[in-house]
Amino acid sequence: MNISELIHDFVLALVELGILLGSLGAVLLVNTVNSAFSLGLVFTCISLLYFVLNADFVAAAQLLVYVGAINVLTVFAVMITDEPAGSETTARGIGYIITAGTCTILFSILSFVIHNTKWSDLSLIPQSGISTSGTLGSNVQQLGYKLLGEFVIPFELLSILLLAALVGAINLARNEDAFIVNKKSAASAPYKNSTFF
Amino acid sequence: MNDINLFLAKLTYTSAKLTILPEIILILGLVAVVVIDLLSKGKNTFLLYKISMVTLLASAVILLWQWGFFTAYERSHARDFGNIFRFFLLICSLLSISSSVDYILCSKMSLAEFLLFKLAAGLGGMVLSCANDLVTIYVSLEFLALSSCFLSGYTKRDMRSNEATMKFLLMSGASSSLLLYGFSLLYGLSGGQLQLDKIVDGIIFNRYGSIIYLSAAFTTAGTAFKLSLFPFHQWTPDVYEGSPTPVVAFFSVTSKVAALALFTRLFGLIFPYFSNEWHVAVGLLATFSMILGNLIAVTQRSVKRMLAFSSISQIGYIMIGVLSADSGNGYASMITYTFIYILMNLGTFACITLFGLRTGTDNIRDYAGLYMKDPVLTFSLVLCLLSLGGMPPLSGFFGKLYLFWHGWKAGLYSLVLVALVTSVISIYYYLKIIKLMFTGKSGRSDTPLNSRQNSLVSLSISISKNSLEIAMIICALASTLSGIFIDPIIEITRNTFF
Repeated sequence: MNISELIHDFVLALVELGILLGSLGAVLLVNTVNSAFSLGLVFTCISLLYFVLNADFVAAAQLLVYVGAINVLTVFAVMITDEPAGSETTARGIGYIITAGTCTILFSILSFVIHNTKWSDLSLIPQSGISTSGTLGSNVQQLGYKLLGEFVIPFELLSILLLAALVGAINLARNEDAFIVNKKSAASAPYKNSTFF
Repeated sequence: MNDINLFLAKLTYTSAKLTILPEIILILGLVAVVVIDLLSKGKNTFLLYKISMVTLLASAVILLWQWGFFTAYERSHARDFGNIFRFFLLICSLLSISSSVDYILCSKMSLAEFLLFKLAAGLGGMVLSCANDLVTIYVSLEFLALSSCFLSGYTKRDMRSNEATMKFLLMSGASSSLLLYGFSLLYGLSGGQLQLDKIVDGIIFNRYGSIIYLSAAFTTAGTAFKLSLFPFHQWTPDVYEGSPTPVVAFFSVTSKVAALALFTRLFGLIFPYFSNEWHVAVGLLATFSMILGNLIAVTQRSVKRMLAFSSISQIGYIMIGVLSADSGNGYASMITYTFIYILMNLGTFACITLFGLRTGTDNIRDYAGLYMKDPVLTFSLVLCLLSLGGMPPLSGFFGKLYLFWHGWKAGLYSLVLVALVTSVISIYYYLKIIKLMFTGKSGRSDTPLNSRQNSLVSLSISISKNSLEIAMIICALASTLSGIFIDPIIEITRNTFF
């Protein structure tokens, strides 16, 4: 084993340790602000993992979108909301034991199966295809070609999905009373609060 | 003149070739709803309703036309399967939109967003039922789940509705993560293929047996959440109880039908190599769904909760059809029963919506003596409920008969026996409501009926409340009579084996 491989392994182990500790912190920490910050640690480490795996564009996107946008939003949301009352009373009933048992069994099955599979035997078909037609240039360009060529339907669907999500968010945040008053003046219907909701 | 003819011929050919044209029309309609609502500042509700109905109808017509165009040249069974399910989803959206407009207007919520979410959910389901690669499957599944989630929280002031949204969001997130894990294993094992048929070619089944089992288990769990099969059903009754009634009607059929299409395609295409183990596992899930769904439904007091458990058990029956597929008949029994199930369930929910609009309650107890007040509503509800239970002259009976006969021929004896016994239990709790409607003393629900009716008359300005009743009567008639026309339906659905 030469020195570069050793360094690679060391960095990989460090990054994975960060992911593990960060996700444990996000779940287990009592103060929600702390767990939001440890979620940020997890996202950063995942982006570093992409760097280690030689996918620099995905890593940058992960860093920008998840750490820069989503995690900041999460931290803001956590800081705005009130302190939850009575969060110390964590009753550990029978459900807790069942869940813990299921998770342990699932984890052991997963690690057993993954350990016993010979991953190096897999034949990566598209990988060879890319390396032969490597005239397309950098990683990002290939990604763009793929997105607007092979994956154009899911790509365009995602834009409609974002539209629907936007409308949904506005619908949730809108002041319903203002809407009803508007409606009343428009249709001259008698204002009456609907009682069956 | 010649040029025009040539142009028309070219246009016809192009639009027939463009298999996603129905979806494109839906997207255009969806954008049109948003833009027109923006321009008219939320006043012109009737136009929005008309636009969405016309869009869905046009989409259905084009789908049928393309289908006919293609079957004239070549016949591909996978395409038939997808087309049937896309058509079912369009029917679901049409009927459920026409049965929910009154409810939305009477409860003074904005219609435009509601129509947008319904169209979006229908679109997601349609893409899902003909998607062929893992990315499209995941995106359309999220489409469906997100729109359904917004729909279930549409009545913001209701605490139960908010709770339902929260539960639905968390559950759909969890199930998507399970599904994605299974997909990622498939992607890795096939050497980086995303198309379903190429994945089958890429996987070496002998060498990676155990990890393919794992992937199949995760995929099954993820889709079973969407289908609400037995161990993954806990979200269903709460979400059904909290959401507004027409929305429940919508996702008791739409998301189920779309998830069913996904389930059948995934397992028919990718995992046929270990069909024995898979049959045992899905058979167990179906058995437990039938038994527990029907047994718990007996004890429910709210109609919506009861129908939630009944829908869990109906999915169990449909699973018999999935398991008993053979190369001769394909998924004919499953598709036929799904069609009848859509009509029966939408009819039942339309009746409940009408009742809920008039009285503001959905307790079973309050249905007492309904026959005296509204015979039409009572008869439609009786027809739909009896059809759901599988009483002989109605179409539910023929659907179940065909399903069970098919299952018996395929050798699923224990499953069919369980289904027969649980059908009898289901008839018991459906008959309980019917008995209450005819014989019960109408006591305390008199006063709210009058007051609600007054407010209803004053509120339904632009759209007559007929559309709900029309949808209800169509569903009731169809769920009664389609048993007579079951032969052509079976004939169409017969050639659907991959």
